[in-house]
Amino acid sequence: MGEPLIDIRDLIVALPPGADRAHAVDGVSLTINPNEILCIVGESGSGKSLTAHAVMGLLPRGVTASGGQILFGGADLLRLPPSGIRKLRGRDIAMIFQDPMAALNPVVTIGRQITEQIRAHRAIPEKEALELAGGLLAEMGLADPKALLKSFPHQLSGGQRQRVMIAMALSLSPKLLIADEPTTALDVTTQAQILKLIKRIQTERAMSVLFITHDFGVVADMADRVAVMRHGRVVEEGAAAEVLGNPKHSYTRALIAAVPRGESALQPVAQDKPLLTVTELSKHFRRGGFFSGSAAVTAVDRVSLTLSRGETLGIVGESGSGKSTLARCVIRLLDPDAGEILFDGADIARMTPGALRPLRRRIQMVFQDPFSSLNPRQTVGEIVIAGPRAYGEDMKEARERAADILRLVGLNPETMNRFPHEFSGGQRQRIGLARALMLKPDILIADEPVSALDVTVQAQVLKLLDDVRQQMNLAMLFITHDMRVAAQVCHRVMVMRHGQVVESGPTGTVFAAPSSDYTRALLAAIPGRGKLAPV
Amino acid sequence: MNRLTYIGARLIKTVLITIAVVLLSFFLVRLAPGDTATVMAGQAGFADEAFMKSLRAEYGLDQPLPVQLWKYLSAVAQGDLGSSFVRRQPVVDVILERLPNTLLLNAFALLVAIAGGVAMGMMAARRPGSATDAAMTVLSMLFYAMPQFWLGMMAMLVFSVWLGWLPPFGLETMGADYTGLTRIGDIAVHMILPGVTLALYFMASYARLTRTAMIEVADQDFVKTARAKGISEGQVARRHILRNALVPLITFAGLQSAILVGGSVLVENVFSWPGVGTLAYEAVTTRDNPLLLGIFIVTAVLVSLFNLATDIAYSIADPRVELGR
Amino acid sequence: MRNFLRVFLSRPIPLVGLVIFAVVVALALLAPLLFARGPFTIVGMPLLPPGAPGLLVGSDVLGRDMAVGLAYGARISLLVGITSTLGAVGIGVLLGAVAGYYGGWLDDLLMRVTEFFQIIPSFVLLMVLVAFMQPSLSSTVIGIALITWPQVARVVRGEFLSLRGREFVQAARTLGMGDARIIFTQVLPNALPPIIVVGSMMVGSAILTESALSFLGLGDPNLLSWGSMIGGSRSAMWVAWWTTVLPGLAIMITVLALNFIGDGLNDALNPRRRR
Repeated sequence: MGEPLIDIRDLIVALPPGADRAHAVDGVSLTINPNEILCIVGESGSGKSLTAHAVMGLLPRGVTASGGQILFGGADLLRLPPSGIRKLRGRDIAMIFQDPMAALNPVVTIGRQITEQIRAHRAIPEKEALELAGGLLAEMGLADPKALLKSFPHQLSGGQRQRVMIAMALSLSPKLLIADEPTTALDVTTQAQILKLIKRIQTERAMSVLFITHDFGVVADMADRVAVMRHGRVVEEGAAAEVLGNPKHSYTRALIAAVPRGESALQPVAQDKPLLTVTELSKHFRRGGFFSGSAAVTAVDRVSLTLSRGETLGIVGESGSGKSTLARCVIRLLDPDAGEILFDGADIARMTPGALRPLRRRIQMVFQDPFSSLNPRQTVGEIVIAGPRAYGEDMKEARERAADILRLVGLNPETMNRFPHEFSGGQRQRIGLARALMLKPDILIADEPVSALDVTVQAQVLKLLDDVRQQMNLAMLFITHDMRVAAQVCHRVMVMRHGQVVESGPTGTVFAAPSSDYTRALLAAIPGRGKLAPV
Repeated sequence: MNRLTYIGARLIKTVLITIAVVLLSFFLVRLAPGDTATVMAGQAGFADEAFMKSLRAEYGLDQPLPVQLWKYLSAVAQGDLGSSFVRRQPVVDVILERLPNTLLLNAFALLVAIAGGVAMGMMAARRPGSATDAAMTVLSMLFYAMPQFWLGMMAMLVFSVWLGWLPPFGLETMGADYTGLTRIGDIAVHMILPGVTLALYFMASYARLTRTAMIEVADQDFVKTARAKGISEGQVARRHILRNALVPLITFAGLQSAILVGGSVLVENVFSWPGVGTLAYEAVTTRDNPLLLGIFIVTAVLVSLFNLATDIAYSIADPRVELGR
Repeated sequence: MRNFLRVFLSRPIPLVGLVIFAVVVALALLAPLLFARGPFTIVGMPLLPPGAPGLLVGSDVLGRDMAVGLAYGARISLLVGITSTLGAVGIGVLLGAVAGYYGGWLDDLLMRVTEFFQIIPSFVLLMVLVAFMQPSLSSTVIGIALITWPQVARVVRGEFLSLRGREFVQAARTLGMGDARIIFTQVLPNALPPIIVVGSMMVGSAILTESALSFLGLGDPNLLSWGSMIGGSRSAMWVAWWTTVLPGLAIMITVLALNFIGDGLNDALNPRRRR
């Protein structure tokens, strides 16, 4: 194996005084060898990202590497003067980030952003650097590099931006590329392409990659070696096949077990009379004004679906597919432009607010963002009983029921007097679920309820949703971008793209024998599919 | 929406604002007790009913409101803002005579404010919480709390009355009849006190804004990217942080120009700067309502033109403008 | 609330602001009791320096007691500052809330109007308004309220617009709450802090604007205010500095106190800044 490229020894990263803990990274030792991909995997707060930033010498203000060594080419990076580490940055060690939109300067052309890096380390004229940049963009599989060089970041798609970032990072053929969750902000099919690209250039250039991720599926696709981090420490490290196939540490096992496998386990429930029938529903948005004219965007295009008691229908799609708009039309947060929504025999698509009110309580929703979905100025008790109070339920009775419901979603009823900011993301989603359940709904719409949560918490919330559905015989509409999650909780799925239904059917059938190319692409893009052992 | 349609939209907005200003003025005149005829009769010293009637007919005041409005609009469109009661001269001529002095003073103040403010803001942003930063915060709080005219008087008290360094009044030395470069130098010296007084308040605003924007931008990912490229801290600050932090400053300069003009009315008065501001004061004291209204219209149109210019500058500085705002 | 008070009072700057402001308010309220003879009474020779017998801070160009003028001036400043702000906040909150929450043509219209007020030189407009309505206390208050309400409307509209899109407000709608209930229990409590902060800062700027108006002779001719004291002493500045320096200091200290309070409110009401 020879000399490691990077040798991290007992790294300690200290947080500023007043943080919830003293050390974000607490004695981490890792090596990265030449020509390999090392994945650091962990949940939020594990210190994985700060470890990577410490290597780059780019720790945020107030955060310092207070102990240990990072050896690179015989020098300790933590002890190099600023000018020394600056010479290495970009030339020997390059980095790409999670959100490529935020990582590119919005007011400078792509070309200048790449040449700036080249010319920081090589004394060549701008014109020559631009030619190099164009070549790199072509190598990243980007069409028309000449035009791209003159473009600004907002004119590119997310996938294109991340390719630009990679081209920039590779512009001086670094020995190490640090990739900090480079695909988390991207759609799943784009993610698959970017992962493939990183893998390809790593092999072609025989370079090393330090890849930070929270997703064991991505690890299975990418890693030569894996380090699992938790609470600032490495709990397990080893060859990818070894860690994935035969995890030693209980936390690793839990993490791997929590990853949905993307294989359907649920059989469709017997369809009796549907509770909800949506027919040819459409929704347009008008944007622009004055000059651009009023260009209408069709967000939902003649979508039909049925939903019965006791079943979960998954609506799957990438961003911009119209899945959330569809959900908001069904619950009448948005007014549909065409089509009908038959709920228990009545068409609610065009009902007046007054007529809708008695029906409204029977369709409830759980929202995506655990932070913005709860009113920060109300206590949990006030939040949970607000619905029944709006329907005139007695305060005392509502509070008693609230205690029961909170217990049902796994929270202590004493939480009622506390405020939302005192709770974690997973707990907040439970509060949001309790709020919805207080109205004893028939239909529960869950709009990406777990996408903001860590994978272990995600598994718990998914299980809770499924339990509640069974106990209360709910019909559930489950909106998600994640095929794996859909497979886990949905009896039937409907795949959407550009506002239209691409395919629908029982989950098992759709996953085993997809009838459309798009569904096939989505399935193929699931990271780590087939590489993780079944639970 | 590309840049041209954006500029087109802003151009139309400027025209609409101008029309709105003129409409507003038309109705403002009707706020004052008595109409033009009563006022003119009062000036003439007698209020004979027949004379009033002939005056009303002469000025079209006996016609229905829409007709009067139409006449007013078409007059303004031809550059006719009526005539000054007191000076017996077209309002436009009176204002145009004074306008260059006001423009000179405001341009100088704007330059001083932006240059000084950006420099101060950058210094404060370099180390948030440092002594420099704290001093800057205290200074800007003081400037925000001072009446601008009073600040001018205090500056005059210190630098002209007590120290005798700078001339306290006017545009140039009276009766000296300087020409050429000597005259330019003389005006420049006279401009220092009023110009800096006017600039100080805005300098504080620009410093605050620059500081906030710099700190905000410095936390963004693309600054991390820039550092990851291995370029020097100076280059990171100039090319990436400052470049982005200046974008909101352009819009701000446009919006502040309206307040600048208001401040200039007061400061001109303190330093007897022969501009539109002192003219406004004269109009108030002599109850010359057409002149006062004319000043409002002219300054409003100038400020909205300046805003058009900053909008165009903004569209050049920020390519994202095509995403629409 | 208790938490809010603790944060607000724990820092020295807002506390200092509060104390100064209380003193100014007390002076304003007690002025008629302390100086029953009123601010226009001539008490001695003109331009006597501070410390002259019976004259704590000197006399002005007409030989009136500056101390009495300062006390009575506080009444005008506070009255104008507070009433014009209340008016502006009243109009601004109402229109801003409706526009932000319901959107549509009303929102478009309001946005155009606030943009208009941002672009025109509002102080010149104020001069026109007051001059045409005839200078008086009420024209000053009305004029200031008329040129400042769009600022409030803009803030309120922005808050309501952003809160309306937040998931907890959407959740409230799915729970079957009516618009009024949502506005008063969900949106307004969250929009209140910025309204309070803007309001407290506006009192200070209204005081400054009033002083500028009366400096130019556009104040109520029957009342003595800090601005008119400065305006009336311009010619005396060369020989009697106290006639202009002191009323200006009074304005500055009062406005500074209000800004300190506003700053403290901002810190105490904005949990993000607190952390």
